Amino acid sequence: MEIFDKLYHMTAFSGLTPGMILMWLIAFVLLFLGVVKGYEPLLLIPIGFGILIANFPLVLSNGMGMGVVPSEEAEGIAHMTIIEIAKEYGIINFLYYLLIKTGFLPPIIFMGVGALTDFGPMLRNLRLAFFGAAAQIGIFTVLFIALATGLFNIKEAASLAIIGGADGPTAIYTTILLAEHLLGPIAIAAYSYMALVPVIIPLVVRLTCNKKELQINMKQQDKLYPSKNEIKNIRAVKIIFPILLTAMIGLIVPSALPLAGMLLFGNLVKEIGTSTDRLSSAASGPILNAATIFLGLSVGATMTANVFLDLQTIGIIVGGFFAFGISVTGGIYAVKIYNLFNKKKINPLIGATGLSAVPMASRVANDIALKNDPGNHLLQYAMASNISGVIGSAVAAGVLITFLG
Amino acid sequence: MNEDFSTAVLLMAVGMVTVFVILALIVVFGNWLILIVNKYFPQPVRSVISQADAPSHEIDSKKLAAIVSAVDIVTKGRGKVESVKKVD
Repeated sequence: MEIFDKLYHMTAFSGLTPGMILMWLIAFVLLFLGVVKGYEPLLLIPIGFGILIANFPLVLSNGMGMGVVPSEEAEGIAHMTIIEIAKEYGIINFLYYLLIKTGFLPPIIFMGVGALTDFGPMLRNLRLAFFGAAAQIGIFTVLFIALATGLFNIKEAASLAIIGGADGPTAIYTTILLAEHLLGPIAIAAYSYMALVPVIIPLVVRLTCNKKELQINMKQQDKLYPSKNEIKNIRAVKIIFPILLTAMIGLIVPSALPLAGMLLFGNLVKEIGTSTDRLSSAASGPILNAATIFLGLSVGATMTANVFLDLQTIGIIVGGFFAFGISVTGGIYAVKIYNLFNKKKINPLIGATGLSAVPMASRVANDIALKNDPGNHLLQYAMASNISGVIGSAVAAGVLITFLG
Repeated sequence: MNEDFSTAVLLMAVGMVTVFVILALIVVFGNWLILIVNKYFPQPVRSVISQADAPSHEIDSKKLAAIVSAVDIVTKGRGKVESVKKVD
């Protein structure tokens, strides 16, 4: 009988709690969404797996699990060396404190995103960049709502509100600096709602736009009112643009530079072409892929049962949805107001893509336009406001960090 | 709590204005950049052989387009394709 007792204590069964089993279910749901449904698989699968491995008891020799230990719970962890953290708290805490807590990975991911981004559509339709600004209204509106619930202090509310920018790395970076203890639920909410862009945008569009507005054909409008600035050397413009923009952001919102600067550096090495092809390939390939794995696993591992299962998490899930919805609505109404005063009309779907969920928001907008008019291909126009949304959300994050960080 | 709300009002005003200012500057400087590049660095019009110039039995239009694009990328826009010959 004693041997069975020893065997039982050797396994993890003795330390299991109902909270851990609930967290497994959440992990399985995320894995299901990533593997079977194909929603943001590159992130939801590492995050889901990170949650799973973080919710087993007694993994390490010192009796600890693999979940990330918050710095406020582990006395002195903030002053330990990385080697000591690895020995004492295991590999996941090593990754978390080295790569996440330092704010290293989100800018690295932005560099890779920059190397995959083409500013061409935005440069060809510069006036559409304004709608990337309008769509940031969800961030600042939800800041109020979150404060009004009484569940969040202002730093936590700002971290929740940045979900409205629809940009995972920006949400993670802001949260690391303002409310690190909410990193897990905020990252999950941000990426889950980004995965649900094909559901959220059509829902908001249905509530706010009529068929006539959705049938505005952007190419026809361009023929009726042609643009004065035809670009005669797009390559030169694309190379100078990231350098110019970096200087501009660095001067006006320097706190946005870790994100925006890395995004624009990645874009610059892509646009230069063959002479920096190796840098561009590294940034958009191995570095981005490795960063995504470590970010996903570490963020997932922050979601241990005692951290995740509370009222704030529910507030983040609900608040994140509102932030997304209000941002899409803000973009749509900005276009409607613009159309009141201009002859050259813009399809409101362009405003709906002012989020930074690139390129999914643009694809969804294009699909809706084609359903209403099979000849209305507006992908390139939607990409213009979509890309400006990436810059807009990074700038909004910079403002929040400057005032609250 | 009231102090938090007044900070939130300030953040909304400063945040939205900053985002609009940055994107407005992008529009303004972007247009200037395009004007300057158009005036001083317009891309030279490159002569590219047309389908009619190439013997139709040797290469089809898709392959020709791929070759022209590859030369364009590798030579950073300086090279031009004048003829394409099939080598046995």
